[in-house]
Amino acid sequence: MRESTIMKIHYATALGAVVLVAVHVLFRITMGSFSGSLEYEQVLANYKFVPYAVMLELILVLLSVHGFNGLRVILLELKQGRSYEKAVTYGCIAGMTCLVAFGSRTILMASMGMT
Amino acid sequence: MKRNDNREGIKGMANPGRYGIERFAYWLMRITGLGLLAYLIGHVYETSNIINGKSAWENMLSITQTTEGHVFLTLVIGMCVFHTANGIRVMLGHGGYGVGKPARPDYPYTPASQNSMHKLCIYASIGIAALAMMYGLSVLFGE
Repeated sequence: MRESTIMKIHYATALGAVVLVAVHVLFRITMGSFSGSLEYEQVLANYKFVPYAVMLELILVLLSVHGFNGLRVILLELKQGRSYEKAVTYGCIAGMTCLVAFGSRTILMASMGMT
Repeated sequence: MKRNDNREGIKGMANPGRYGIERFAYWLMRITGLGLLAYLIGHVYETSNIINGKSAWENMLSITQTTEGHVFLTLVIGMCVFHTANGIRVMLGHGGYGVGKPARPDYPYTPASQNSMHKLCIYASIGIAALAMMYGLSVLFGE
């Protein structure tokens, strides 16, 4: 993929994540007290509310793509080389996939009541 | 003389004193980005405790909902707000907004892109991040 396309994806994921993370934070501070919003029953109810669970999944994907691409850019600025660049790119893709898979597992299990 | 004798490497690149606030913003952007990625990984792991039942969740909260945990969360708020505000500045700059018009390079070769508006935006990003941290502290410790 062209680097210019990757940067467009980087910026698009950033803008999407800013909006969704703002909603996620507002959920924590507008539902009574902050500590109250972290109670087990409250958090589980959040997961079981399908639109919220979908939003969490979107945040996870957007931030993982943005975060691991940012890490890739930083690592490529420090050092260059054909094999190094390949290792960094595939390593970041693997890290991103693992994080999305692990986070999705939590969202799916919690929203389906498998606790 | 060897070709690399004058090379300072990462130390030279990291020196924020030589290139002004832009270099400082460059480093702060990368440090906050790495910090936020580490937080994201930790947060995904932390919240995965919900599927292990109420006691596991409350055990995890007893570790994170402490004074140290709240101070750490305040730092995360600051990193997040700076990264967002400075990121929007960088995005606009890459899009060609606020970087000045192309002109013939004349002595003293002042770069049009490193203008006072961008410098002001960097200071504003730091200021907004500080305000957000203060608000975060009031929410986290004001209960």
